[in-house]
Amino acid sequence: MTRQEIEREIKNIFQREFEVENPGMDDNLREEYGFDSIDAIELLLEIEKLLGFELTQEEKKLAMEIRTISQICDYVEKITQIKATLAGDK
Amino acid sequence: MPPIRSIQRVINFFITLLLWSYFLFGSIVFFFLFYLPAYFFAGNRITAFQKLNHLHMKNFFTLTRWLIPRTKFAIPEEVREIHSSVIVCNHLSYLDPILLISLLPRLRTIVKSTFFKVPFFGWLLKNSGYVPSAPSEMLGPAMINNLESIKEHLAAGGNLFVFPEGTRSRNGKLMPFNKGVFSIARYCDAPLKLIFIENTNKLFRPGTFSFNARAFNIVKVELIGSLTPDYQGIDFSISAVADQARSLYEARLATNKEKN
Repeated sequence: MTRQEIEREIKNIFQREFEVENPGMDDNLREEYGFDSIDAIELLLEIEKLLGFELTQEEKKLAMEIRTISQICDYVEKITQIKATLAGDK
Repeated sequence: MPPIRSIQRVINFFITLLLWSYFLFGSIVFFFLFYLPAYFFAGNRITAFQKLNHLHMKNFFTLTRWLIPRTKFAIPEEVREIHSSVIVCNHLSYLDPILLISLLPRLRTIVKSTFFKVPFFGWLLKNSGYVPSAPSEMLGPAMINNLESIKEHLAAGGNLFVFPEGTRSRNGKLMPFNKGVFSIARYCDAPLKLIFIENTNKLFRPGTFSFNARAFNIVKVELIGSLTPDYQGIDFSISAVADQARSLYEARLATNKEKN
């Protein structure tokens, strides 16, 4: 997945699941949209669905510190790259 | 005040005193005889504490049945057989959580964090694997730890119960549902069991500290629905599941209104 595709998918998730239209990439989700920890769990589960595999506990814990869409995209990009590298090594 | 009413009040007072005395002194006896040995020697301390809570509350309701024969309990076997599920429940009285604990031996729940600060009670809650609703426990990595622990508990046959209304309903009407419980069920990939409790508020009225021993009453605990959402489905939506659950409760309440 390219960075643009990740951004598009994440924004789709926000529109579909959280009714947030066109969020700014660097908006603080908690302050701007009242995004709480239960929303963060929902987002994690949607990211798992998007990626097509289950995240590890450590990966999930990392995600709980995220505050902006931009950071979410970085996170998804990083996870995708790690999984691709691991798959390549095998 | 008419004399009969005064007598009723005195009876209620003494029965309440006996029941809460059991609650208090029974807890002390349980502490020394069972909880303390379980704390030091049980292989799985959390499971042992949950079973002890179950036994303690079962005794409490046995005593309630003896002391308040006018109140009957209608609890079908299918409720006692629930396992590996997230239980959603309406909330009418302080008796609701302890009634559920008396029915199901392996139960966890999310508890107001202030209760964890109460001496002994907080220790009991913590060692029973209950999760405090404090922001520090429901944010960041701590939340993932709690959810993973709940997931393991459910996989091992236990249940989690949550009152999605958050607090007791003062008029029996359904209050807004918090969607958190449905997200937890999704995270744990667990089925949802919808439990409907009736008339605990007539036995122990919100806003009072007295049992009502004189009224003829039937406390009912009913399984009104089982949901097994397709959490991985493309069309899956937490809001839709929450709405479906709520509509089942509304339908059940409507049935009661028709009867009355």
